[in-house]
Amino acid sequence: MQFKDQVDFIRRHIKKNKLRVFMTVLAATMGTAFLIVLASVGFGLHETLRDEVQSNRIITEIQVHASDESKEPSEQVGAFKEMAHVKAVVNRQRINAIQHSRLGEYTGSHEIVVTDFTEEARVGFALKEGRLPEKANEVVVGSDFGASMYLEMENENDEFVTYDGDLIGQQFIYQIGDYQTGNVFDEEIPFTIVGVGEYPAKDWQQDRSIYADRAMLVKMEEIYDAHIEEKQEDFKFIYNNVTVYADKVENVSTLANELKEEGYWVYSIADELKQMDVFFLALKAGLIFVGTIAILIASIGIFNTMTMAVTERTREIGVMKAIGANPKLIQRLFLMESAWIGIVGTLLAVAISYAVSTVANYLLPIIVAAALGEEDLGGMNVTFSVIPWQLVLIASAISIGVAMISGWRPARKATKIDVINALRQEL
Amino acid sequence: MIHVRNLHHSFSIGKKGKEKQVPVLKGISFDIAAGEIVSIVGRSGSGKSTLLHIMAGFLKPDSGDIRVADVTTSAFSEVESAKFRLDHYGFVFQNFQLMPGLTAFENVELPLVLKGIGKKERQQKVQGIMDNVGLKDVQDHYPNELSGGQQQRVSIARALITDPPVIFADEPTGSLDSETEQDVLLLIQSLNKSRGITFVIITHDDEVAHTADRIYRMHDGELVEGGVTRAI
Repeated sequence: MQFKDQVDFIRRHIKKNKLRVFMTVLAATMGTAFLIVLASVGFGLHETLRDEVQSNRIITEIQVHASDESKEPSEQVGAFKEMAHVKAVVNRQRINAIQHSRLGEYTGSHEIVVTDFTEEARVGFALKEGRLPEKANEVVVGSDFGASMYLEMENENDEFVTYDGDLIGQQFIYQIGDYQTGNVFDEEIPFTIVGVGEYPAKDWQQDRSIYADRAMLVKMEEIYDAHIEEKQEDFKFIYNNVTVYADKVENVSTLANELKEEGYWVYSIADELKQMDVFFLALKAGLIFVGTIAILIASIGIFNTMTMAVTERTREIGVMKAIGANPKLIQRLFLMESAWIGIVGTLLAVAISYAVSTVANYLLPIIVAAALGEEDLGGMNVTFSVIPWQLVLIASAISIGVAMISGWRPARKATKIDVINALRQEL
Repeated sequence: MIHVRNLHHSFSIGKKGKEKQVPVLKGISFDIAAGEIVSIVGRSGSGKSTLLHIMAGFLKPDSGDIRVADVTTSAFSEVESAKFRLDHYGFVFQNFQLMPGLTAFENVELPLVLKGIGKKERQQKVQGIMDNVGLKDVQDHYPNELSGGQQQRVSIARALITDPPVIFADEPTGSLDSETEQDVLLLIQSLNKSRGITFVIITHDDEVAHTADRIYRMHDGELVEGGVTRAI
């Protein structure tokens, strides 16, 4: 029997029992859609938390510190860049001094961070406005720089007035001083703001730093040295903070291990993230298991439908066998019919699940925010439901597999039908 | 063509654990030549239907051999038996055994569909047979829209469609009135002559049996009278 004739044969039977087949497909659809939507919540929450962690760009970050057995990391930046799976190496240098800045009548205390902007750009240092510095006296300021510049108060009870004007193109004066004496040195360094950094990912974080080019560091140390005659023995004017970024999350462990082997102390949250992944893997497996129960319940319907189909068609099967139909062909026809129920049910379920997922992602944040009495979820981008292709694949395999297993026994029963008894059946 | 030798078969009846073996065929042997019409006649319970079922491969005998065109069919597996039936046998049943959901045309087409023959070739062949057995005008009718005689003609056309060398007819006129019965028997005779098909007719009706070239009479699982040849 040709394949298209087999399909035609099944189509004819399905058409004959439209309502019953429709109800069975509906049950299969509901079971599969339940599985997909349920598991999609696990995928959604996992993605939300991963995004949350990754939005702080710390997922691929490995902080490298010197140990007794290792070299000074800040002197090995070039060597680190040569290592496999390294995307960028950033040495953020800070200074050990009082820092004071003045913009017109506004004053504030802002920490300077000297860094390599080319490397920063590779790991997602983003500007809200302006551009990166090109000259030594050009700087980028953090998004909260203006909000931390205060107008001097005349009375103690006056409210704080902060700078809310445009920052780009503004020149401000930067001075350093000595922590021990509390003196701010007279030397003034003029900086021109050329860029403002993007807001930090978290609402509660503030970025009021001044990001300057490395050339300024020498000048600051000269000023400091000119004023301090005797430094304490273990005094350091510059603090180095070397961070190595891996190209992919999966390479963080390898890279961290290599650095450990070279004697450095390293810190990365990739290990913590691994634990989170294991937890979510277990959660997703659990949700898929619960969803599978719904499909198993639907499979009872498929089993029933196919058993009824075989019982109803006993005489027809008998005639086909009498004429010379191969028992394997009869089995295949019934298996194809139950597979058809599974396939159509799965296709409908996938479409419905995507629709439900989209609606849930749109409506649930609004509902939850309204329930909490807030305008949004604290800036948190919550995805309640995500349906990756892997989930569609798993659900489809379970659904179609269960449908075929449900149809297996009735199909076997069809092949075992006794021709003589079948032909004796009344019409 | 068909050689049956020392065929034995029994059925087990009664409750499980208390079954009784009832012999139905007790050492049947006979031959059928190619192109013959053979009747196997007997009362109800004589074992004639069981004999047909075994010859057709629906049942396996307890012992004995059946050879058809030098092939021992009694040793076939279920799958081999089905394949042999599709290629070598046609069947005409008392209750016609047509598929209620298929039209007369589609019923006749069914064996060709099972054989995996293409649609175009199928349609040409079915059309030819339908014309031959006088069903051209009713080919799109469903079985319940046809008379008994027409249904049996469809059944005969279905048996003929694969050009089998042998057609088994189990009480082919059992559900027909006497006029239609004569039509069907004449059709069988004419197909036998024109196509040289061997017909094996199972019947309890002596009148039907006498249509055959050779008559075997059965009683209580044995052939009591065999090989009576009708003047051809």
